Amino acid sequence: MTSVRFVFPKPRLNELLRTPGGLPVAEAIENARKNLEAIKPTCTAELLALLELSEAGFWNLKNDFDDAALEELYAIAVKGIGAGEVCGVANVDVALTSFCDLLDHLRTLKRFDREAVGVHVRAWRLLMSSELPGAGAKQVLDGLLKVSGRYAAEVAAAV
Amino acid sequence: MALDVASRARFNLERAAVLLLDETQLGMSILVQIVTGLGAKQLYRCASLEEAKAAATEHEIDIAIVDAMAPEGKGYDFVEWLRREAQEPNCYAPVLITTAHTPASDIVRARDCGGHFIIKKPIAPIVMLERIIWVAKAGRPFLFTGTYVGPDRRFRDEGPPDGIGRRREDIARAESAAKAAAEIATHDIETPPERSAAS
Repeated sequence: MTSVRFVFPKPRLNELLRTPGGLPVAEAIENARKNLEAIKPTCTAELLALLELSEAGFWNLKNDFDDAALEELYAIAVKGIGAGEVCGVANVDVALTSFCDLLDHLRTLKRFDREAVGVHVRAWRLLMSSELPGAGAKQVLDGLLKVSGRYAAEVAAAV
Repeated sequence: MALDVASRARFNLERAAVLLLDETQLGMSILVQIVTGLGAKQLYRCASLEEAKAAATEHEIDIAIVDAMAPEGKGYDFVEWLRREAQEPNCYAPVLITTAHTPASDIVRARDCGGHFIIKKPIAPIVMLERIIWVAKAGRPFLFTGTYVGPDRRFRDEGPPDGIGRRREDIARAESAAKAAAEIATHDIETPPERSAAS
């Protein structure tokens, strides 16, 4: 028989949050925003470095399924998610999420689609430019989501 | 639960010990900027599972913000370790898991590792603050079973699907409610309302 035990802990955090002093919500959020603004240049440099790694990884891909290579690309792309917002190119986060979805689906299906991978890598480079008009970026993202969505449907059908 | 970004309500994170785990410099840097902006001063920055275990063994922590660290998902391993191996009170510490992307193979692991909340990246500071306040207040009981150790995941009672339970009395109750509603609807059609209610 499985035994189940309940414990009712009292986390200290609740008391600490209520101690006098601290910050008003508005001020704290503004502080965090300013802090993130301060790391924008380094964040952009790191995101570009990840993009270059990803481009190199893409060019080194063989023409058939290679799980290790796809995992490596996934590990690069996943590190970039979240940085786009900080760097002022929030669309990159969406593109990278689509890229990770695609790579995860390809690994699940043990399939390879060079063009689908390539279009995500090229879109990442394109979306890094803040000069890209909003409508153009939307079109790019719609295209990426269609590509990764096609494999999502295949994965769902296979389960 | 949504916090107003313009709120003047105060909170104090100054004395809270915050454990941060993220293996990437980029992720850690973003996390640090957010939590220090929110007022946290006592941070344990950990770049690996081993560092995080050491920090949780040596210091009392009030909250852990742990990146899942895909594709290996080492963040989940840390949360599982914290729940099962760490000493009190750290084993009960609120844990927020941040994730950039969860591979399909890790969804169950993410659900079952014992975290309080999963936050999807990119992380907005207001979302982080909302979740910190939520996990501090929630007071969810901890559950120890053979397969799961962590906060009780049944914290939101949304009732049965479609609002109707499967017991005989639930079905009877639903039928009588439907009948009453039909009678009211007929009545409404016959006598138009005098005034429409503004919502």
